[in-house]
Amino acid sequence: MSKAVRTAADEIWKNRVEKINVELFTLTYGSVVSQLCRDLNNNYCEVNKQLEIMGENIGVRLIEDFLARTGAGRCNSFKETGEIISKVGFKIFLNIVPQVTNWTDNGKQFSLVFDENPLAEFVELPDDGKAVKELWYSNVLCGVLKGALQMVQLDVDVSFVSDVLRGHDQTEIKLRLIRYLKDEIPAGED
Amino acid sequence: MTIYSLYILNKAGGLIYQQDYNPGLLKLSANDYLVLAGTIHGVHAIASKITPFSLRDDSAAAGQSLLNTNSFLNHPLPVNYTSNKTGLNFIQTDFFNIYLFQSLTGIKFILVTSPNGVLSNNLTNAELILRKIYIIFSDYVMKNPFYNLEMPIRCELFDLKTTQLLKPV
Amino acid sequence: MSYYFAMIGTRDNPIYEAELGTFKQGGDGTPKFSAEMKELNPFIIHSSLDIVEDLQWATNSLYLKIIDNYYGYYVSAYVTPTNIKFMLLHENKNEENIKQFFIEVNDLYLKTLLNPFYSVNDPIKSTMFDSKIKLLTKKYL
Repeated sequence: MSKAVRTAADEIWKNRVEKINVELFTLTYGSVVSQLCRDLNNNYCEVNKQLEIMGENIGVRLIEDFLARTGAGRCNSFKETGEIISKVGFKIFLNIVPQVTNWTDNGKQFSLVFDENPLAEFVELPDDGKAVKELWYSNVLCGVLKGALQMVQLDVDVSFVSDVLRGHDQTEIKLRLIRYLKDEIPAGED
Repeated sequence: MTIYSLYILNKAGGLIYQQDYNPGLLKLSANDYLVLAGTIHGVHAIASKITPFSLRDDSAAAGQSLLNTNSFLNHPLPVNYTSNKTGLNFIQTDFFNIYLFQSLTGIKFILVTSPNGVLSNNLTNAELILRKIYIIFSDYVMKNPFYNLEMPIRCELFDLKTTQLLKPV
Repeated sequence: MSYYFAMIGTRDNPIYEAELGTFKQGGDGTPKFSAEMKELNPFIIHSSLDIVEDLQWATNSLYLKIIDNYYGYYVSAYVTPTNIKFMLLHENKNEENIKQFFIEVNDLYLKTLLNPFYSVNDPIKSTMFDSKIKLLTKKYL
């Protein structure tokens, strides 16, 4: 199944998605983060929170775009959700395919491991001791995933585990399913 | 098949967009439109509840993730797809047809068209149009940063694009 | 042969400076300036800044070659389009290699600029930048 999914996603990326210059994108996101740091006086916990809120705003809108473009139906399991997110979602919007790993036994938690992060090209965290310990530079991605999954009735907790910008070996995001929002499922679905 | 009007409902069943594309139609009052929308929302939910279980199982099996099947790769736009497998899909009367499309996020798109003989053809056509409307919606409404979710749609570009798509030339 | 390399910002403030030693002819890469020279190096560079500012309008190219001479030590300069000056103090005339060195330092500087947390005229404190400069010294000087 995954081969078909991957080719489908490639086809969408090639033909039905408008593309922009990656440096413009990286510089725009970079100036957003650095401006946030300046506005919030380098209170990196607050910056992380604001990035997540921005991400949620983006996510609730992005999910409609994703559904309209791919015509995907409801996933039958959380595992399938993970596969679709990494192979189709990230491919369409960022042209990267993170690895899905670290499935827990009950299938309610997994990690996405990124080998490249277009948001953080050429970025070095500022040298004031706090940033390296507290700032998750790409936290907007966590917000996007959380907001988008919330709109399809999945309550998920998304957070960073490690980040190359902070000196770790790899960039890893953990997604943990809290529950299905059964009462919000539109009538007609099971 | 001419298109008479388009209604868009939010997750709670409230009307967020209404537009007529045929000048010959009688105009209802704004209140009537809201009542109409609420009624359709309710009827849709009831229909899903009274679907017999045997039908429900069939449609669940058929409604596998579309990415599994070939139709996804071959068609430029996926056809024959609506997110709700057991809710209301299509009403046919002597004077008009109503087609319903509900997305995974609970947004309903309702298309009222002229009555017509051939059933399956019209259904495919209508589904195609509804899909296109969904794409226009996700572009011009969702991507407008000043649009608050679940609120009435007041986006000029959305009006423009849907009129272009739906008004008979 | 030792080199003293400095990058001067738009307000005549130093952004980066390094003492480098040559790797050619059996040198081991450590700079060998006498104690007095060590103190004088920044002053020599600073005094030739005026010459750079005159010369940069005279020519179209970014590399200004040797602009000054101080008792046997040559000063070469390179000006970026945004008026950042790279200056190198050296003992032997090695124009071609120095030109290549400056061009690669320009590339490194561009990458530093792409970092959103770095504003123009900030001092460059990154250790990665440092190690890359050392690699370039190995290659060209």
